[in-house]
Amino acid sequence: MHEISLVRTILRTLEDEFPADMDRVRGIYLKAGLLANVQPILMQNAFQAVVADEPRYQQTSLHVEVLPILIRCDDCGKTTQVQQYRFICTCGKPSRNVIQGEELLISKVEFDD
Amino acid sequence: MTTVKPKSNQASVGSVQCENTTLNLLKVNDFVARAIRDRLPDILVINVCSSPGSGKTTLMQETGKRLRDRLNMAVLVGDPETERDAIRMREVGINALQIVTGGMCHIEAQMIYQALDHIDLTGVDLLFIENVGNLVCPAAFDLGEDLRVTLLASTEGDDKPKKYPRMFLTSELMVVSKADLLPYVPFSVANVVQDAREVNPDIDVLTISSLTGEGIDAWCDWLLTKVAEKKGVLTSPAA
Ligand SMILES: Nc1nc2c(ncn2[C@@H]2O[C@H](COP(=O)(O)OP(=O)(O)O)[C@@H](O)[C@H]2O)c(=O)[nH]1
Ligand SMILES: [Mg+2]
Ligand SMILES: [Zn+2]
Repeated sequence: MHEISLVRTILRTLEDEFPADMDRVRGIYLKAGLLANVQPILMQNAFQAVVADEPRYQQTSLHVEVLPILIRCDDCGKTTQVQQYRFICTCGKPSRNVIQGEELLISKVEFDD
Repeated sequence: MTTVKPKSNQASVGSVQCENTTLNLLKVNDFVARAIRDRLPDILVINVCSSPGSGKTTLMQETGKRLRDRLNMAVLVGDPETERDAIRMREVGINALQIVTGGMCHIEAQMIYQALDHIDLTGVDLLFIENVGNLVCPAAFDLGEDLRVTLLASTEGDDKPKKYPRMFLTSELMVVSKADLLPYVPFSVANVVQDAREVNPDIDVLTISSLTGEGIDAWCDWLLTKVAEKKGVLTSPAA
């Protein structure tokens, strides 16, 4: 729902981190946990819309990877992928110990030489 | 920076520099949320979330009336455009400040931090933040609250916990609101509780109606307990 502001945050974050290199950015890789509610197609649309009037990003593409939710059981220590939002370990014990699935981060940036 | 092969994993064509990072996009928000916690060590802060129209403002009004003599309460209310909800609360004597988000679908920690300079919190025990009506985006933004409460009206259908899992995963309490309408709508409290607990086994559940008063006493008791716990944390001697 807030894809546009998310795209702006991505660009602002990179502009802060790599102030001298933004004209050379070609690929931005985003990792979004399933719980971050990020729809890749909506992100692509928002990205196109935002960079439309920014000449420096005309050759930049955004890649969004959605990560499944993983929980680690406090009882048996096993890591389980959450299916259908049932936060329950295969041993039957419920768990809120989410070790993957909430993140929203830029994992990689590619620059042209 | 390291020079690596292009993503295709084929032989390197020209060269692409690649920087592996972990730039957390919510870093700024989370930082400000911590600052809010530091700033409000003895006030219980509750972030109240729901879809639009589930009865958040009405419940705050009822709560203010009921607990007036027992608690000092204040409300920050977020809405995309108008001042109306803050006015509704002030009409019943509640110390309320509107946060107009300018069309944004959620409140961010920075907005709360700034609002704290414009509301008098002297002697306040309980600060509600009425979030923008939306079960998706607010779930990702920590506002420095102690607890998150999500309202789900009987008129909205009972499939919400599985559709908006993060909100229910991060909530301490689910309030099934508009219980007076349960006889007229296809909504199973048992099903919704089961779904909510599959997402979050620890979630508390209360069923209330601001119209008839059903469940409001239990809600007020829940609040009083949580306020006492927050204050208790401070006064209890270190273990
Ligand atoms: N039947 C019924 N209607 C309610 C109840 N609580 C609120 N409403 C109505 O629902 C509508 C939206 O309520 P409001 O408190 O503004 O919702 P908010 O958008 O979540 O703040 C208003 O018309 C209220 O009068 C309730 O317990 N029962
Ligand atoms: Mg309202
Ligand atoms: Zn287990």
